[in-house]
Amino acid sequence: MAEKFASERNIKFLLYEVFDVASLLQYPYYSEHSVEMFDIITDTSMKIGRDLLKPCLMEMDKEPPEFANGTVKVHPVVRTFMQECGEGGWISSIAPFESGGQQLPHMIDFIPRFIFAAANYSASVYPMLTTEAALLIESFGSEELKNTYVPNMFAGKWQGTMALTEPQAGSSLADIATTAEATDKGYYKMRGQKIFISGSEHNGVDNVVQLLLARIKGAPAGVRGISLFVVPNKRFDEQGTLVPNDVNVTGIYHKLGYKGCPICQLSLGEEDDCRGYLVGEPNKGLGYMFQMMNAARIGIGLGAAAIGSAAYYASLEYSRERPQGRRSTEKDPTIPQVPIIEHADVKRMLLFERAVVEGALSFLMQCSKYSDLKMVLTGEEKEKNALLLDLLTPVAKSYPSEMCVWSVSQGLQCLGGYGYCDEFPLEQYYRDVRIHPIHEGTTGIHGITLLGRNVSIQNGKAFQLYLEEINRAIREAEGFAELKDYASELKDATAKLEKTTSCLLSIAKEKGQDVFLADATLYLELFGIVSIAWQWLLQAIAATRALRNQLTEEDVLFYEGKIYTFRYFFGYELVKIEGLVKRLSRTDGLTVDMKQEHFFDGM
Amino acid sequence: MNLIACVKQVPDTEAQIKVKADGSGIEEAGIKWVMNPYDEFGVEEALRLKEKAGGTVTVVSVGPARAMETIRTALAMGAEKGVHITDLDNADAFATASALAAAIKEIPFDLVFCGQRAIDDDSAQVGSILAELLGVPQVTIVTKLEVADNKIKAVKPIEGAQLLIEASMPCVVTAQKGLNEPRYASLPGIMKAKKKPVDVKKAADYGISADFKANVAKMMPPPSRPPGKIIQGDDPAVKAAELVKLLREEAKVI
Repeated sequence: MAEKFASERNIKFLLYEVFDVASLLQYPYYSEHSVEMFDIITDTSMKIGRDLLKPCLMEMDKEPPEFANGTVKVHPVVRTFMQECGEGGWISSIAPFESGGQQLPHMIDFIPRFIFAAANYSASVYPMLTTEAALLIESFGSEELKNTYVPNMFAGKWQGTMALTEPQAGSSLADIATTAEATDKGYYKMRGQKIFISGSEHNGVDNVVQLLLARIKGAPAGVRGISLFVVPNKRFDEQGTLVPNDVNVTGIYHKLGYKGCPICQLSLGEEDDCRGYLVGEPNKGLGYMFQMMNAARIGIGLGAAAIGSAAYYASLEYSRERPQGRRSTEKDPTIPQVPIIEHADVKRMLLFERAVVEGALSFLMQCSKYSDLKMVLTGEEKEKNALLLDLLTPVAKSYPSEMCVWSVSQGLQCLGGYGYCDEFPLEQYYRDVRIHPIHEGTTGIHGITLLGRNVSIQNGKAFQLYLEEINRAIREAEGFAELKDYASELKDATAKLEKTTSCLLSIAKEKGQDVFLADATLYLELFGIVSIAWQWLLQAIAATRALRNQLTEEDVLFYEGKIYTFRYFFGYELVKIEGLVKRLSRTDGLTVDMKQEHFFDGM
Repeated sequence: MNLIACVKQVPDTEAQIKVKADGSGIEEAGIKWVMNPYDEFGVEEALRLKEKAGGTVTVVSVGPARAMETIRTALAMGAEKGVHITDLDNADAFATASALAAAIKEIPFDLVFCGQRAIDDDSAQVGSILAELLGVPQVTIVTKLEVADNKIKAVKPIEGAQLLIEASMPCVVTAQKGLNEPRYASLPGIMKAKKKPVDVKKAADYGISADFKANVAKMMPPPSRPPGKIIQGDDPAVKAAELVKLLREEAKVI
């Protein structure tokens, strides 16, 4: 079975040569860290990924969680891993020192998360969800909530979740119907149903803490009536022992992939004894939840890129070893066959994978750098980074999610028939990665968010900042003779994105919201391709600069490989925007006009 | 208890090793370096003893500047301080052990851990020479260890049996797989490691010269495996007879 799942070399290239993570050390908030420590973090993460997580990858797929007697039995590695993540400080890594965390830069925190997800996506979700839920309590919860829940969650003893979806309220959160009835004892009585809740009950932890959206009785309809609650599966009684909190698992879903983590249906308050604890103020729950959701969305992008990375290395390893066919110029059938990586079409598939995975990871690191700068800077600079992060979150979630489905598919294709069989991990990666365009907001939702909301934030200020960021890279690339033509291609593409955006915004006025947003997903696709081209230009600048130095043979190959992949992205992917631009400028409202009856074609 | 763990930085077990064209050693470019896995068992055992009985763990390493990362890794696992002797490149086992002994003599010690061998040169001598130079008992290839009343009881597997060996302290123990499961460095541990003291020394500080008793004259990659042979024919009995003949006369294994 393929061994390599992530590249330390590439991670270090991005951290140190493209994004200069060391520049964060100048800020007091991050001054306790050092590059030497970052290397040990990468090293230790690889070790945990390789020794603890990867060996259980296929097992967790073949023996998925079992639901029996009201609880869900998961693979034993879940408990071991949660303990390791708790004791090792991985769950609380980005929390401030005073909350028991390590105040790690977001860019560095991405490294263990990426590596764990590449080694075993299902396993990586348990601590990740716990981090995000605990940080949400840290941000908005009362002291009592913080003291009761956060330490146990940071310690990996209690699982955190986000419980939003209901049978009638999936993408449409405004329709949430779970109710919370105030009591005079400081808690609310919860009643309702939640579905598709990841990790919401399992025996890998001692308790599960749902960060749950519900409606306080009498609250206004729609999103302005949604509040955030902590609803533990077990609560402390007066003696301080954990007792059931009337949170009942009614079933688990049988999924296509990502099988190692249970997704449950929950029924709250069947015995009228489910207690929820309000987080922050009433009716402000959705706003609070967005903190967790936005972090989780970037996390989803990272998870998709991680699976893409594992699939890339598995298909690369196979393509190097599998002999099949001869060069087209070779007429002698008795000479040995060549490894399939010698065939241009296989190289094209591998390049596609690498271009998508490393481009996506670069973009995600760019976003994490905005998170860090938002944290350490003040005033206008802080706001600038916050706006960029806000603008780009749908892209950071959706580009890796959508494109890694294709990239893993190409990886599977490299293995031919073996790719389709379970002797190799590609078929599992293909199934595992498919969740990503769906959870944490479908691609369609993110398209609407990007076009319908984000590009117009502060009258388009965020979008202008984004264009300036790209222009800065273009100007820098123009200083390298080798990159000039590519800089001009990106300039052209960015101008098309800008023009398409203003054209669509004027359509909103002329033809209304429906036509304006009808192809928002395609707009998101266009935006994604331009963004990743920008990231490849940044990587090409770093690689070109490096190639001017005296290097070892390995380093020359690495940087030249980067340049080939960069050229691939521009030559094969960036050109795809032409069709998208053409479609997006034809605002004929085709999908709006067509009636559902038109799909009727007889019985 | 004063515990010492000797560590060596070696190429990762999964690294692709290439021998230099001139046979003087391996190509180091692009290699990932890790703590010798057997030394890791030693570090872990020292940490467990410290956690049980109190004391300090000092990590000592002979190796070039990059070996500092291995020392920091041991500090991140929980050791208190380090000693790094930096200028003995390609040292033989005797010079390495001499440098370690000189460094250790300056620290009070009750128990010294080494890996039973390093996975790069496989010489398996450093621990033993070190014990001789320190003038203390040694127990090698240990898979289980108990410490009580200034004595150790160590289990050492041998062909078909196990020995239970008692030795007085101070002494040297070389660690074998099975002794324990080494922990992963924790994030708080990694943060603290940065501030822990490491003494950087030269061999000359201990009066050791780089004139080694043994030198690697030449390094050669293992010979490539000869191609297999397929016995042709239709009759299994004839083919089996041919196989026996080849195994006896050509391969000389039966």
